[in-house]
Amino acid sequence: MRGRCGWFGVGAHRARGRIVAAGASLRNGPRALGPLRGTLALAFATMLGGCQGGASITVDATVPSPLVDPIRASMGVYFDDSLLNYVHEEELEDYGAYRIDIGASQGPVFARVFNAMFEDLVPVEPADQEQSDEGATTDADAPAPIRFVGTDGSSPVVDGIIAPSIVEVQFAIPDQTGGDFYEVWISYKLALLDGGGNNFGEFPLIGYGKANERNFGQLGQQTPALHEATTWALRDAAAELSFRFRDQVEVQKWLSAIGVEP
Amino acid sequence: MKFPQYTLKRNLGLVFVVGLGAGLASTGCVQTTVQEVRQADTQIGTGESIVILSRKHKTQGETEDDFVTCVSDSVNSGAGALPILSEREFVDATFPWFEPRTAPLNMEDLATVINRPLIARRIDDIGVRYLVWIEGTTERTDESGSLNCTFFSGGIPACFGFLSWESGSNYEAAVWDVERGMTVGTLSSEAAGTSFVPAVVVPIPVIARVREKACANMSDQIKTFIHPDLPSLRAPEG
Repeated sequence: MRGRCGWFGVGAHRARGRIVAAGASLRNGPRALGPLRGTLALAFATMLGGCQGGASITVDATVPSPLVDPIRASMGVYFDDSLLNYVHEEELEDYGAYRIDIGASQGPVFARVFNAMFEDLVPVEPADQEQSDEGATTDADAPAPIRFVGTDGSSPVVDGIIAPSIVEVQFAIPDQTGGDFYEVWISYKLALLDGGGNNFGEFPLIGYGKANERNFGQLGQQTPALHEATTWALRDAAAELSFRFRDQVEVQKWLSAIGVEP
Repeated sequence: MKFPQYTLKRNLGLVFVVGLGAGLASTGCVQTTVQEVRQADTQIGTGESIVILSRKHKTQGETEDDFVTCVSDSVNSGAGALPILSEREFVDATFPWFEPRTAPLNMEDLATVINRPLIARRIDDIGVRYLVWIEGTTERTDESGSLNCTFFSGGIPACFGFLSWESGSNYEAAVWDVERGMTVGTLSSEAAGTSFVPAVVVPIPVIARVREKACANMSDQIKTFIHPDLPSLRAPEG
C-alpha cells in the first residue's frame, strides 16, 4: 500500500507507523515547550487526521445551462424520491467507510439540462393507482401505460415524459488503483415515455469524474477530492445527456412520431 | 533553577521553527529550457482575451490545476499583462463543448465546434481570441536519504539525516487562434533542480522550485508570443 500521509510531505520515508510513533511521543511529551507545544500538537493532530480512511460528502451542485439547440417539444419530467434522496454508502476494506450523498444535486442538474434541451418542460408525477386504472387498455400483452399528472393534479398535454433514475454509483481512490485520481462513476437510466405514458425506450447514461490527488494537499484530501470527482461526474453526465440524447434510435423515432425533425 | 531551563527549552523550540522557516525560504538551483515554434503571426485586439486550459481527458499525467492557475495569473499581471478569462469561466460559458470528454483535440474538431452558431455567438460574447492548451507535469525523481524526527524528553523536537530528491517540470503549450481557426504556435518550458534537506537537530530544507520557475518562464513566453513587440521580460540568467 502506498503511504497516503507523511511528515512534511517530503522524503523517501513516508510511512504510517512513523507518524503514529511521533504522535505517541507528542502525547507523552512534557509540557516544556510552552506556547509552541500547542501549535506542534495541532500540526501532528492534523497529520494524524489525514491518515484516517473514509470520507462522507454531500454534493449539492448544479451545472451550467448547456449550449444546445432545444428540441421543439413539450416534455414531462419526473424525478422520483429514490433519485432525489440517493446516497451511496460503501465500506472499503483497509480504507474505511465512504458515504456519497448526491440526491440533492439530481433535481437541479437534470432541471437545468432538460430546460436547455426541450422547448417546454412540465414537472409531472404518476397518478395514483385508482386514477391510473381509469381508461386503462385491455391489451394483456402490452405493458399498461403509466398515467402522469401535473404536480397540481392537472392533466398536462406533453409530447413525452422522461424519468431519470440512478442505477449504480462506483468510486475508486488512488490507494486502490495506484493512479493519481479519485474517480467516481454514476450510472443512470432514463426512462422514455410518450405523451400517453407508454414506454418507448431507455437511455443509459454514465457520468465519470476524476480529481487529481496532486491538486489537493497531503492532509485530509479525501473529502474535497471525492467531492470534486463527484461534481465532475455529474457534469459529465449532464454533458453526455445534452450531447447524445438526439442520437438515440428510440429518440429519433419518437421525434419523427411527434413531427419534430431529429 | 526552573526558569532558565524553561527558557532554554522554549528557545530550542523556537530555533527549530525559525531554522525550518529559514530553510523553506531558501531555494535550490533550477536549470531551465524554453522553446518556441511560431506558425503564424499573433495579435490581440481590444476586448479580446486568452484562456489557458489544461487537458483533462488523460488517465495519467494530468497537468496540475495550480500550474494552470499560476500561468493564468502571471500572464494577467506584471509587464505586458494580457487579458485572461479563467479556465472555469470559459468551460462554464461554453458548456458542454469543452468538457474533459468533449473538448476538441485538434483544429479540425475545434472548427466543427466553433462553427456551430450557438458556440460562435457565445465565444464572440466572451471575447476569447486565443486558447492556450497546456500539457505536462512536474515529477519528483531519484529520492534518496532519510530524515528522522522525534521529540526528546523535555519535549524538544529534533530531526537528523539527509534527504534529497530531483524534480523536473516539463510543460508544453499549444496556442490556438479561435478567430482564424488555426494553431499559431507551440511553446515549451522545462525546469529541473535538486532539493535537499540536511538536518542536525534543525532541518534546513533547500527546495528547488522547479514548477514555479517553469510557470514563470511559460507565462513570459506566452506574453512575448502573443505580443512579439514586447521586449524580453526577463534578463538572461547567469
